[in-house]
Amino acid sequence: MQTIAASLIRTQSLRPASARTFVSSASRWQAVPTQKPVLQKEFKIYRWNPDEPAKKPTLQSYTIDLNQTGPMILDALIKIKNEIDPTLTFRRSCREGICGSCAMNIGGQNTLACLCRIDRKEGKDTKIYPLPHMYIVKDLVPDLTLFYKQYKSIQPYLQNDNPPAQGEFLQSQEDRKKLDGLYECILCACCSTSCPSYWWNQDEYLGPATLMQAYRWIADSRDSYGAQRKEKLQNEFSLYRCHTIFNCSRTCPKGLNPAAAIAKIKLELAAD
Amino acid sequence: MSSSLILRSTVPRSFRAVSGRSALLKAVQARHASTSTTYVPGGPVYKGTVNDPTDFPPPSKSHGSYHWAFERLLSAGLVPLTAAAFVTSGSQYPVLDGLLGISLVMHSHIGFDSMLVDYLHKRKFPILGPIVTWTLRTATVGVLVGVYQFNTNDIGLTELITKVWHA
Repeated sequence: MQTIAASLIRTQSLRPASARTFVSSASRWQAVPTQKPVLQKEFKIYRWNPDEPAKKPTLQSYTIDLNQTGPMILDALIKIKNEIDPTLTFRRSCREGICGSCAMNIGGQNTLACLCRIDRKEGKDTKIYPLPHMYIVKDLVPDLTLFYKQYKSIQPYLQNDNPPAQGEFLQSQEDRKKLDGLYECILCACCSTSCPSYWWNQDEYLGPATLMQAYRWIADSRDSYGAQRKEKLQNEFSLYRCHTIFNCSRTCPKGLNPAAAIAKIKLELAAD
Repeated sequence: MSSSLILRSTVPRSFRAVSGRSALLKAVQARHASTSTTYVPGGPVYKGTVNDPTDFPPPSKSHGSYHWAFERLLSAGLVPLTAAAFVTSGSQYPVLDGLLGISLVMHSHIGFDSMLVDYLHKRKFPILGPIVTWTLRTATVGVLVGVYQFNTNDIGLTELITKVWHA
């Protein structure tokens, strides 16, 4: 280290004076980074404040410079909250599509704000609403209590009365493959809240997210309560309010296919 | 469309009663306790605490998988039945004509019934729900009788469609 420093000093002292003025010329010292052009973008965001319940929900408009913002909708929301309006309320956590907190309706599509790129088209606003047809806590925060209660009702955990004498449950590679595309669900509720059947009958119909998790445990070779799990769904509402609308599969921000899982439950119930 | 849906769904219920449409809705839709939530102004009241799971209706295969399998088989069966009615004549094969008539009426009954369960179920519409359900049942029986009469005493379903088609 010392030798390098020493050699540096030597070369600098050897350099002629003219070369030095060339490198550190006046303009070089005062250089500023090139300014990106300003790209103004309007965001219209749903606002509703529970402290003023008499006031109807409104769309509030915010304009920010996209060239000073990250690429995703969540970056824009955070920038608005930090710099323009600290009262704007939304859920966010991991900012990389694994927690499912920032699910909202962006440009008419339910998706995760952190996985949704900002449309950079100039002069076109982006509308952001909370998940449709849910009770709203505030602004972009929906009440997911019923959603979680329904998830709990399908007993989303391993049930087996005969655990192996020692060690863990073993599973063949084929059986493990059946769970691919099911276990990745992060329960962001994008699919359930995009389903018209869930809009009209969410007090009784379980909705695509919960049904896909129901199938995840029916399909699991290590679980021995498949028959009981299936029997619970044998009624008019819990499962059979699915009319194969496919909004769930179209909207899933993780690219999963809840409609296929529901179809498989229906097939298994019919074959029972 | 979607924005208006959201707006409507999230406005506190008590303030909706101001408009005439909501007053009508209130008269028709007496808010009643359902299995998991009670419909009250301002939001849902959950059964149990937030940590209790929702419960399921009593299991019934005839409302579940049997109903679904019957509906699907009927829909699939209508395809060859319709094709058969196309290539044959109703007056030569009266059984086929009768079968087509019954299947079509059953198929539409299940379809309409599904709509009523979706939108006018009696847990939300304790007065209107049973009225429309029984209206549908009466209509289905009436149509079945009518189709039977038409097939036995008149030219029959397939012949009629052929005639209308060529008219």
